[in-house]
Amino acid sequence: MPTVPVIPSVWPSSSEWFFLSPVLLMAFWGVLVLMLDVLVLRNRTLLSTRAKWLGLTSLVGALAALGLAVGLLWPGVLATDVLSANEEFFNGTIAFDAASALLQVVGIGFLVLVIGLSMTWVFTNEQGEYYALLFWSAVGMILMIEAEEFMTLFVALETMTISIYILTGLETGSKRSSEAALKYLIYGSAASALFLFGLSWVYGLTGTTRLAAVGRALVESRTVEGIGGQWTSGLALLLVLAGFGFKVASVPFHQWTPDVYEGAPAPVTAWIASGSKFASFIAMIKVLMLALGTWSVDTGHLQSPGWVVILSILAAVSMTYGNLAALGQQNFKRMLAYSSIAHSGYLLVGVVAIGVSSQRTEATGAVLYYLCTYGLATLGTFAVAAWLAHDVGSDQIDDLNGLGFRRPVPAFCLAILLLSLIGVPPLAGFFGKMLMFMEALNAGGNGGIALTWLVVVALLNSVVSAFYYVRVLKALYLRQPGPAIGKSFPSGVIWTLVIAAVATVGFGLNPTALLDPLGGAGISLLTSPEPASSGRPVDSNGITQSATVPENPAQTQVPVAPAPSASAR
Amino acid sequence: MSQDVPLNWYLIVAACVFVIGLFGVMTRRNPIAVLMSIELMLNASNLNILAFWRLGTPNPGEAPLTGVVFTALVIAVAAAEVAVGIALILVCYRVWKSADVDRYDSMLG
Repeated sequence: MPTVPVIPSVWPSSSEWFFLSPVLLMAFWGVLVLMLDVLVLRNRTLLSTRAKWLGLTSLVGALAALGLAVGLLWPGVLATDVLSANEEFFNGTIAFDAASALLQVVGIGFLVLVIGLSMTWVFTNEQGEYYALLFWSAVGMILMIEAEEFMTLFVALETMTISIYILTGLETGSKRSSEAALKYLIYGSAASALFLFGLSWVYGLTGTTRLAAVGRALVESRTVEGIGGQWTSGLALLLVLAGFGFKVASVPFHQWTPDVYEGAPAPVTAWIASGSKFASFIAMIKVLMLALGTWSVDTGHLQSPGWVVILSILAAVSMTYGNLAALGQQNFKRMLAYSSIAHSGYLLVGVVAIGVSSQRTEATGAVLYYLCTYGLATLGTFAVAAWLAHDVGSDQIDDLNGLGFRRPVPAFCLAILLLSLIGVPPLAGFFGKMLMFMEALNAGGNGGIALTWLVVVALLNSVVSAFYYVRVLKALYLRQPGPAIGKSFPSGVIWTLVIAAVATVGFGLNPTALLDPLGGAGISLLTSPEPASSGRPVDSNGITQSATVPENPAQTQVPVAPAPSASAR
Repeated sequence: MSQDVPLNWYLIVAACVFVIGLFGVMTRRNPIAVLMSIELMLNASNLNILAFWRLGTPNPGEAPLTGVVFTALVIAVAAAEVAVGIALILVCYRVWKSADVDRYDSMLG
């Protein structure tokens, strides 16, 4: 055991703090909203007044964070040479690059829409806590997108999920809300524990927690005898995939999805389906590509088929199960929950395409495009689900009957979003699916693994999914108006619907407007940071190399039980 | 160093604790017992990380305290998770007057 050297403090520079300013603002604003509620408003004002003021304060904070995040993208604000992949920024824990700068704008944009939707109804007495937790879950989400290191990733992921557990259970007087929260917590923490056990093995096999360094160590282990554990690396891979599979609601880990989507307050459901899924998929792509890229196919060091094959099977099963289960649903929120499982399947096809494609950045751009447009479409449809739940007092698809005649604007927007979710040509959902499936097909053409069967399954599933979406469309336009249609739409719902529908049509007619910047983000998302210590005697933490290299030969033993050199010792 | 417990022993104990925790999560019906099982799984990971940090091969250029910091963060996260978990169990207990996950079934289908 070498003595622990003193680490010279590497305090982040001002431009690094500036880069994090949207996140820091949101973390601070959560405290501010909570304090405003506890110290000023609670017990002095009516619940509706309190809710209005806290909602407005939160909206201002979220818009300010969005402004800061957009400002960071402005040419010249951050020098382009600063925005390069480098392990020196934040000591290599947070990606300081173009992808983070762009994707955090999308994440905060989702937050703004969710806050706007939450202000429409008062469904909880704990208004201060509600908005504070929304902010903090957004903080976790964005740090998760930006994480370049397993500890940061794990803590950010838990910040996001634990906040969302509480948000799920916050609806006052709702039995289903508490039940959904407890189920979410039990499934979620079990999945986190699986994920963490996998991470501990990855750490043990490579000796580091940084994504890029893990990737380098695993590449070396293919040639250097010893470090690549046999079945342990397969086990680690499966456990990591289980953790991500839970977060994105893919099939063997999907059981929580319908109950949580149905029981949670509808704005929170919209947040889980858009924000949480967005962040989880990006973190998944980063971990699989930067750190575990070597394990994409069986390398002989891995007693497992590799994550490309595993994820292809999960994708096919998720799509099929989600769509078939959605067919039988009468409950609008539950139908959307099963359709979200199916969409996770489509997105997994995209992730697999990134893994095998020769044009990885294009494939990444396609997945990011799908994530953005799918998030917007889900926010819009859940806005309608929220209106049904709170103003009509029901969850059934039949209660949408005849909406197209009485409320033409919201019904038309909802119809556009549903058509986009099916994948009808001029809309964004079509281009997202087309781009991802094209990348999956191209990968097979270049001598990679043929994904044709997967694309065929995905296309068949798109046809199946049309049946249940069209059932909603039929209710909107072909049935006689029911009694619930007299209710008017609050402005928060209209705004969310119109923004989502306009974006869906706009990005559908002009996909390059979104695809070009996201393709650029894909490049920097997949660029491994260069080791900061190259060519220097002192590494990024200022520790001399000799201090970290163990002197005791016992420490250089292979850390894996069945490895031959360990038994030889 | 040669008198130390070998790394493999730690890993075997951690794997056993993890499997016991996983078994508990899947079989116990009392939510508090489920939370305890999840704690076992998290602590198995902690044991793994610390054993790897103390006895494994560090990556060149790795900071000296990675494993300890990781474990401290995991302990903090686990405490937060349990605090939220107990609160939610209390809420559900007040509604159903029972601590049995199988009876929390207002949503099916």
